[in-house]
Amino acid sequence: MKISYNWIKDYIELDRSVEEVEQALTLIGFEVDGIEETGLPDLPKVVVGEVLERNPHPNADRLSVCQVLTEPEGEPSTIVCGADNYKVGDRVPVALPGAVLPGGFKIKSAKLRGVMSSGMMCSAKEIGMGDDAAGLWILDQRPPVGQPLNEVFPDRDTVFQVEVTPNRPDCLSHLGMARELAAYFRIPFSYPEVFPFPESNGSVDPESLLRKVGVESEENCPHYTAWRIANVKIGPSPDWLVRRLRSVGLRPINNIVDVTNFVLHELGQPLHAFDAAKIEGQKLIVRQAGDGEKITTLDGKERTLSSRMMVVADARKALIVAGVMGSLDAEVDESTQNVVLESAYFRPGSIRATSKRLGLSTDSSYRFERGVDPDGVAYAAKRAINLIQEVAGGEILPPYLEEGAAFALEKEINLDRIYLDERAGFVIPDEEVERIFDSLECTVSRKQHRDGREYWQIGIPSFRGDLDSPIDLVEEVVRLYGTDRIPSGEVRGIGLVREDDASSRANHDFGCALAGQGFQECMNYTLRSGDELKKWYSSGGADSLAVMNPLSVEQSHLRWSLIPGLLDVLRLNQFRKTGLHRVFETGHTFYERDGAVIEANSVAFIWFHNDHQQCWREAQAPDFYNAKAIIQGLGRKVGLDLGAFPPGEMRLTNSAWQEGHSATIGDLSEEGFEARFGLLNLALLKEYDLGGIAAAGVFSLTPEFLEKARPRPQFKPISLFPAAERDLALVVPSDDIGIQVRETLKSIVVRETRHAFTVEDVYLFDVYQGQGLEEKEKSLAFSLVFRALDRTLQEKEVNDVFTRVQKAVERETSYRIRR
Amino acid sequence: MEEEYQQILKNAEAAIKSVETRADFESFKASVVGPNGELTKAMKGMAKVPKEDKPRVGKALNMVKKDLEALFQKHLKTIEDREMAARIGAPVDPSLPVPGESWGGKHPLTKVREEIIHIFRRVGFSVAEGPEVETEYYCFDALNTPSDHPARDLQDTYYFPPQTRFANISQKEKERYLLRTHTSSVQIRTMLETEPPVRIVSPGRCFRRDTADATHSANFHQIEGLYVDRKVSVRDLKALLDYFIKSLLGPSAKTRFRPHFFPYTEPSFEVDFSASHLGKVGSQWIEIAGCGLVHPSVFESVGYDSKEWSGFAFGMGIERIAMILHGVDDIRYFYQNDQRFLQQFQG
Repeated sequence: MKISYNWIKDYIELDRSVEEVEQALTLIGFEVDGIEETGLPDLPKVVVGEVLERNPHPNADRLSVCQVLTEPEGEPSTIVCGADNYKVGDRVPVALPGAVLPGGFKIKSAKLRGVMSSGMMCSAKEIGMGDDAAGLWILDQRPPVGQPLNEVFPDRDTVFQVEVTPNRPDCLSHLGMARELAAYFRIPFSYPEVFPFPESNGSVDPESLLRKVGVESEENCPHYTAWRIANVKIGPSPDWLVRRLRSVGLRPINNIVDVTNFVLHELGQPLHAFDAAKIEGQKLIVRQAGDGEKITTLDGKERTLSSRMMVVADARKALIVAGVMGSLDAEVDESTQNVVLESAYFRPGSIRATSKRLGLSTDSSYRFERGVDPDGVAYAAKRAINLIQEVAGGEILPPYLEEGAAFALEKEINLDRIYLDERAGFVIPDEEVERIFDSLECTVSRKQHRDGREYWQIGIPSFRGDLDSPIDLVEEVVRLYGTDRIPSGEVRGIGLVREDDASSRANHDFGCALAGQGFQECMNYTLRSGDELKKWYSSGGADSLAVMNPLSVEQSHLRWSLIPGLLDVLRLNQFRKTGLHRVFETGHTFYERDGAVIEANSVAFIWFHNDHQQCWREAQAPDFYNAKAIIQGLGRKVGLDLGAFPPGEMRLTNSAWQEGHSATIGDLSEEGFEARFGLLNLALLKEYDLGGIAAAGVFSLTPEFLEKARPRPQFKPISLFPAAERDLALVVPSDDIGIQVRETLKSIVVRETRHAFTVEDVYLFDVYQGQGLEEKEKSLAFSLVFRALDRTLQEKEVNDVFTRVQKAVERETSYRIRR
Repeated sequence: MEEEYQQILKNAEAAIKSVETRADFESFKASVVGPNGELTKAMKGMAKVPKEDKPRVGKALNMVKKDLEALFQKHLKTIEDREMAARIGAPVDPSLPVPGESWGGKHPLTKVREEIIHIFRRVGFSVAEGPEVETEYYCFDALNTPSDHPARDLQDTYYFPPQTRFANISQKEKERYLLRTHTSSVQIRTMLETEPPVRIVSPGRCFRRDTADATHSANFHQIEGLYVDRKVSVRDLKALLDYFIKSLLGPSAKTRFRPHFFPYTEPSFEVDFSASHLGKVGSQWIEIAGCGLVHPSVFESVGYDSKEWSGFAFGMGIERIAMILHGVDDIRYFYQNDQRFLQQFQG
């Protein structure tokens, strides 16, 4: 909102610099977004001059040589001028030698194409009065020759662009702002005086202007008044009024409309003036619009209304969209003689909904939807009538018509001294507290509870609907006492038993682990395109991830994986040749399972090996097992030994992974975690213009899984005696996976050892396929490691176990021992 | 005899030079000192040596034996050295670039987030996180946001269609799901499951239905703090944020509270800082956070007695702080992930 410094001074005697006012506004909660100096800047040595002669320049077609009088009794100066819009006898601004024009342009006597010029005749733009640079600024009002221009145009002004928070509609006016500044600077503040209206002489029948006001939408319009004014003289507004309106960026229309706009910006109460002749049937009805009812608003647009919008109508049609904008059909214009002035209170919700539906926000709707003073209707009308009589004459035809009533709530709030002290954290003296409330027009009385505790009973003025409870009063006191006076304090740091959430710790650990292995963390948007999702993830479910109101098709679905984003990053970096090839991201991803979406905490990485990487020695391309090693490392960070789980088949419902070189472990909906890893599909990489190999992994966990308490590891003794090893090669079907064969073998070994000593490990050290084996067979060689806690193992006892193991394998399994 | 021994040594010294592998070495060694070796044969001649000469000849033989042994040892070491050198290749040029080298690192937003968390953890805050998909209750209702507040508009907030179900995000009743617009929802969820006192910071991703430009991102990160205890005051809030700003920006940074309005706090403030030592910042006041005392109605909605408990909350944008700290002039850099950008904030 624009606040004019000059205007504000109508209500307070403010003698502060612009900087002080700016700071004050900021510190009491009205952020200043901009400051604009309007009117003429300070221009010494720029005076009114009169052109006495104008002759062609001897050496330049476009220039003239003028004789210009700049002192009433003095000699004319010779001035060379390039403009063409003036004639002899015109008065224009003249910058004398020594003047400095806005922008730092210094005027001095100089030869222009051979002719000495002593000064410069100026355009409006050159002296900072607007944008008109087309020609000289002709001073039509013919001020005296030699008068400094600053005397001719004394109204310099400063306009503050102020941000008013939605809880403070009372400050959407100059009066409201003046009240706040008065409270802050501790200076007196006065309302504009309202005079009694002169009596009508009875020559005009009030009913010929308006007979009746009816409010059908009582809920949305609790108070409506209409004031009849006859025989106004429509014309332009006087200078003072024009200046006020211009200072806040308004265009003057005519004296009646200008007064209603002025009062809106003065008091914050929107008003509407109807041309009485245009009200059919001499009645105004406040009602809900009919569905499909049309109105052409003042901005020239035809608008279709609905029953959720309120209008003020005459006997036949809607004249204004209530509280928002008038129509062409009821406007005051040059031919207007009699006026009906509306001043009303409309409910904020109704106006907000209408304004939003119409996509039409006006100075009026902006104030109604935040809430005008419910007790301010009559005062604003009277103020406007005073001004109308001042600028347009006319006579008031009493009585005014009224429906409903002002409904100022008699609100009192008790503020305990101790409550104020506790919430503020420091003591503000009684007098200061009381002065603050007084300056905000609250009534203050100091009281005592029965137990002797002190409190204030604060009466809240009607325009402060935002003050509802004691804490609101604490805010007012702190605000106007000055937040810069809050004493410094100590940080209260009492230890609480609460650990960081597991997801936070896990992400930190994942990030450290991957960064330590040369991966660069990236961040991609959570919303991705539906097309991408469908392409990657052919099994339905895409719809569940769609947001209802996307801003664009590129960002319409929740991300189901971090991999696509990381591929985008790799593509961009490969294209830009930045050399980035190992990336990771942590973040939330969304999985559709059985018709419901699970939000999971995910980490994903890609290690890309570019086939065309130029390097003096080629780097090794990663393979499936690199991805597996990394994902297992991540698993350990959250207490999971992923290597111990049999990998499931990759659900090839998505084409992201290379068949035969990828695996999945766990299931998000069943176990609460899920890992996918291996090589990314080579064809897919190509689509991303990534020629090469990419090992990748995704590890997702539900927050519920992460929060599960993990027992602290308990110490197991370690043996200081040597281990005994025996190797055993098994011929198995080539489809059998290593971990199953190992698990089978291990259970036999453990059993056959019969707790005589420990089976420390059964590990796979060789895989063989080919000569000596059938086509669908492979040989897996395991090393069995035995050890005892208390002794060196004897050959014999180990051999006995080994023999029993071999017999058991032959007896119990389909595996063949390869000798 | 002695000449013969000397000759054997001399021959060996000459011949060993052409022995290059360990296998050749072993057979060569056998050809000299093995059971059928030259020296072994020559030693058999000792028997014929007259008794008085034996000590002298014996001594000469021992000398030769010793010399041969030294010769073999030395040559073996040469072979071993050569083998080891062959294993690791020629000496390297230590100045060459590393093939396939990759700089790992965290994203600047992560680093700034971790720095902020670190500062608050030092004074007893712990990290609380929550879902990015939220419901209208946790994001707005419980935070005292009026039902017609503009933040709830379809214009400004992403919603999910009514049929979408979320398996692990609880609703209060049947209210709509949305993408959270702030992490304040985490405060509500935390208070609902914890008894006061509470001291948490909740970092996380938030969403506004905004078109991206240099200073706006539809996707951004916030960190919010919540402190609930007995008799918590505006002064405590100011003290904590003073501490935070000085920790983040240096001891000469100044803080200013500007009264403001948020539905969930009362009184509410916006926090500005000025830090004349930060070149790009200069001496202006720059907005960095919003804060205030928790509104009593927020406590009521989580079942805390607002007569006994009071508290404050604060929130700030991580991108904004990262931009201030590092002088980044366009928020979109953070989501573009150009290595040349990301790398600048390592170390």
